[in-house]
Amino acid sequence: MSIVPFPPARRRSRHVGEGITRPTLGVLGKLGLSVLGLFGLLPVYWLVATAFMRREDVFSKDRPFFPFNPTLDNFGAFFEDTALLSALGNSVIVSAGTAAVSVLVSGLMAYSLSKFRYRGRNLFMVMFLVGQLVPGVLLLVSLYLMFSAAGLLYTYTAVVLAFTTFTLPLTVFLLKGIIDGLPDEIIEAGKVDGLSNLAILFRIIFPLITPGLVTAGMFAFMRGWSDLLFALTLAGPDKQTLPVGMTSAFIHEGSGDWPALMAASVITSLPLALIFIALQRYFVSGLAAGAVKG
Amino acid sequence: MTTTTGRPPVRAPARPPRRAGQRSSLNGRDRTFGFMLAAPAVALFIAVAVYPLVSSLGTSLFDQSLIRPGRSFVGLRNYAEVWPDFVDRLGTTLVFSVLATVLPLLLGTGIALLLNARIKGRAVLRGVLMLPWLLPGVVVSFLWAWIFNDSYGVLNHVLSQLGLPEVDFLGAPGTALAAVIIAKSWNTFPWMMVVVLAVLQTLPREQLEAAAIDGASRRQRFWHVSLPHLIGPVALVTMLEFIYNFGSFDMIFVMTGGGPGTSTMTLAVSIYQYAFVEFSLGRAAAMGVLWLVALSVVCAAYFLLNKRLEARR
Repeated sequence: MSIVPFPPARRRSRHVGEGITRPTLGVLGKLGLSVLGLFGLLPVYWLVATAFMRREDVFSKDRPFFPFNPTLDNFGAFFEDTALLSALGNSVIVSAGTAAVSVLVSGLMAYSLSKFRYRGRNLFMVMFLVGQLVPGVLLLVSLYLMFSAAGLLYTYTAVVLAFTTFTLPLTVFLLKGIIDGLPDEIIEAGKVDGLSNLAILFRIIFPLITPGLVTAGMFAFMRGWSDLLFALTLAGPDKQTLPVGMTSAFIHEGSGDWPALMAASVITSLPLALIFIALQRYFVSGLAAGAVKG
Repeated sequence: MTTTTGRPPVRAPARPPRRAGQRSSLNGRDRTFGFMLAAPAVALFIAVAVYPLVSSLGTSLFDQSLIRPGRSFVGLRNYAEVWPDFVDRLGTTLVFSVLATVLPLLLGTGIALLLNARIKGRAVLRGVLMLPWLLPGVVVSFLWAWIFNDSYGVLNHVLSQLGLPEVDFLGAPGTALAAVIIAKSWNTFPWMMVVVLAVLQTLPREQLEAAAIDGASRRQRFWHVSLPHLIGPVALVTMLEFIYNFGSFDMIFVMTGGGPGTSTMTLAVSIYQYAFVEFSLGRAAAMGVLWLVALSVVCAAYFLLNKRLEARR
């Protein structure tokens, strides 16, 4: 299939002069890289290590840096906490909902921007580009009042709508870039075969860009999964997601059970790590290149 | 959008090459169809982003509470009331956003330059170094609050082992802001790293090789060939990062809640505080409008400065 969303990775083979464009590192360079690398990785290590430590070890005088007596109790505590479990369920519902709505709405929009020319098209693109710079906190008061007036406050719908709006700029331009790569002849061939406009979209275009749709959906999922602000204010006590559930538990109980909190953090981060592994190619090459070109 | 993961990169609306007569098959009805396809996204965006932004202008002129119905027009009184706070929080916000932008930039660029070398396991290292960027802001906040914890934190543990005095990082006004900035920088440096690395991989190989053949040293090649290519994209990403940090909410909220005192109270946390702690929606909206004005001024200053620098070049 010719649908490669982003330029393929560079050839691995060596070439003449590689020592110039890609020099080897001296001792100082290696040392610097190690120090910087440790700064990046040690906190992650501490997160995971604490999650496996026993409480009495963590709070003892001679705290170990390594979980010598690893335990799963902290993870067990998470799954016994009904509040956290229901937050986990809410997170799954809200993030999956955000992903589904984002993919559908931005898929339609991306096709529209890519293959149709009409008045207002450029305005739409500018609006989406500028709009993603507006921080959520600025819309907070109005959104709260708006959803309250519409009777949507403290519902999944409100949270999903808010999340989706802020994933749209990313997912729309991601998908537009992919659809731009499809030749117009595909659409024309569909027309010759007598397909309606909608049939062309759903039976030809979308199946061709399925990998892109999955990627967009995963990005939207991650956004919904990580957000604190909207979930904190629009979701209410019953529909709160994991970041909110953990935050309120943390803030109310103060500096309490750190191992349990780290275990909950690991559980919260795990889906994102899995998605990242699946999408690594897109993250590292494609998105950065896209950001740079912008 | 204060989530720190899933940060949207601004993608250029890349224009496909237009060949003559390419769109000839699209007649008027097709255009209407195309417009209709955009309608849901545009409607959602207007309803949930554009309209709230505009309507907060109106709210800022009213005395309106979160917990009792009704509202009364008060003109500019909300603005007068929040002005002293605004001036104070603007300072904190600027310190936070400048430092939380510059530190990851330096860190990310440094790692990218080193990672661009020929080393074993480079792809793995790059992937693993993305982890800090991947964690949700809330998790990053907990993690660093735990590292900085005054009595059991690993940092104080190390300090005491080294015979140094322990510090209540998050509890003292002098260190709390620094602690949050460090946590935030740790969270975002991978993003800078990835951007710089991506540019480094698109450097014109021929120019670098030609410069080397002409006898340019490694340092000269960096200053005269690599750097000019890096500046544009890096300046753009830096600017975007600054704007995100200017409205950043989650990490400060979780790590310090704005305290101790108001030492880490940024505009974003302040708006939340007005609306959901003091229940004064009018003041929160007024603070939001002032936020927008302040950011516009900063952005305008950046563009003017940029223009002047370019003119001089």
